[in-house]
Amino acid sequence: MALTNKQRKRLYGALHVALILITAAVMMVPILWISMAAFKTHVDVYQLKVVFTPTLENFETVFQSPYDLHHKLFNSTIVAFVTVLIAIPLATMAAYSFSRFRLFGERIMFVMILATQFVPAVVIVLPFFIMFRQLGILDTRIGLIIVNLSIVMPFAVWMIKGFIDGIPIDTEESALVDGSTRFQVIRNIVLPMAAPGIVTAAIFCFIIAWNDFLFALILTTNKAVTLPVGLALFKAEEGDLWNLLAAAGIIIMVPMFVLALLIQKHFVQGMTMGAVR
Amino acid sequence: MRDRHLKYLLVLPAVVVVFATAIWPLIQSLILSFRTWKLSKSHVPGPFIGWENYSWALLEEPDFWNATVVTTVYTVLTVGCTTLIALGIALLLAPGGRLRLTVRTLLILPFAMSPALVGVSFRFMFNPEFGLFDAFFGLLIPPLAEVSWLADPTLAFAVCVMADIWGWIPFITLVLIGGIAALPKETVEAAYVDGASGFEAFRDVMLPQLAPVLAIVIILKSIFSIKTFDQIYMLTNGGPGTATQTLAHYAYFNGFKYYDMGFAASVAWIMVLPMIVLTYFYTRYVFRRG
Repeated sequence: MALTNKQRKRLYGALHVALILITAAVMMVPILWISMAAFKTHVDVYQLKVVFTPTLENFETVFQSPYDLHHKLFNSTIVAFVTVLIAIPLATMAAYSFSRFRLFGERIMFVMILATQFVPAVVIVLPFFIMFRQLGILDTRIGLIIVNLSIVMPFAVWMIKGFIDGIPIDTEESALVDGSTRFQVIRNIVLPMAAPGIVTAAIFCFIIAWNDFLFALILTTNKAVTLPVGLALFKAEEGDLWNLLAAAGIIIMVPMFVLALLIQKHFVQGMTMGAVR
Repeated sequence: MRDRHLKYLLVLPAVVVVFATAIWPLIQSLILSFRTWKLSKSHVPGPFIGWENYSWALLEEPDFWNATVVTTVYTVLTVGCTTLIALGIALLLAPGGRLRLTVRTLLILPFAMSPALVGVSFRFMFNPEFGLFDAFFGLLIPPLAEVSWLADPTLAFAVCVMADIWGWIPFITLVLIGGIAALPKETVEAAYVDGASGFEAFRDVMLPQLAPVLAIVIILKSIFSIKTFDQIYMLTNGGPGTATQTLAHYAYFNGFKYYDMGFAASVAWIMVLPMIVLTYFYTRYVFRRG
């Protein structure tokens, strides 16, 4: 049976839609499944139930002793927030300079900044662990912030430079000719125009710091434990407490989903540091 | 102030921070890798022992070679599968339309998920009693119905690879969609006019033009595959036995379970070597395009 061109086109169209729906399902099912578990009772989790009576009990339990997830939530928020607060202003200054001036050793600094992001975290964390141990700042938020800067700082410089590169230089030059100082130019012209890019970079860095696992796993034990490491709390003798794990999972992922959706337009550019546009 | 001085003053704080938080520990790790230092026995660093940590890893430690093989196979599989599947999905989603744009938006979500949580989710999905994927594969392939995935060395490794691919497909897909959107439309259309089939137009016209983007994606994904730690730790913790122990996990284990700092540093630095090669190629692509 030969198909006409029109029939063939329609068949392909339907096939494409089917494949797209399958893709969407495969990507979403694990997220949905673990989200559902967060609203199930302990008993319901242990049966492959799709229909169940939702409960908020798990969210109450995780914020109570012995789990005290609000401490971890507080630590995660402070660490990510302060890391971003330090990194973004410094990165913006550097990014402006890299974008607008020719610097001595520019290429070496560039490669250095790019390469440091690719270094395995274990390499970075070993000396810090030893140093923090001597200084007595293991298991503190300050220690975590310092180490997180090693990933966030180079990333922010790259990303913000990409955004500043995209701003035309003409207005700056004419303002300089008209007698503005470099500081006035940066404050009045560059910063307002780069603001969306800087906010995007800040959100990215926040997500990276928030999702960090290895640094917190090694450098914290109790007081400064963050949310991803806190997941380990829900391993009990009798097995994993899946309903509680899922509730903690929601608390970790949903704020990041919201942030990621806010900057979805810039997502790809941000992650490849402008390498792919 | 003159720009001549200002431009260096502006980069100085950032460079100092990068140096102190990234370059300095890198150098310290290298120095550490030539010493013996068991933190459980002594609070002060031991003597320099030359290449002994490295030769111990390379010549005396079957576990090191196991981790190297695991990491290599893991990297080849995850890079290959992720790139191929993502390319397919990118081609599916590249044309506009409401359905496709909605799915693109949804794709951002898995990538914003903490890798540690991806590990937890997949352990949940493959739980032998109530895991959804476990049940699904059990129906699809009956011999697997009674198998406990994470207790079987090969299947546990497969689950780790699947979790990694699942976590990275969204990002790679979005990058490739960007790459496809940047291609000039005329060339593909001209191929159709010349009577090329859809597949021929893709193979002969699109693929060569996508090659630079694919190269960047493959290098970037390789770097992250070699570094993999978070998911593995949460999913299998290297087990059963050492079946899923990657080099990063092996270095972590020696450093923070056995407190053998010098040895862990040498393993970590062995991991840095392929990174240097990959970063070299990556910077070449980035600077050529910039």
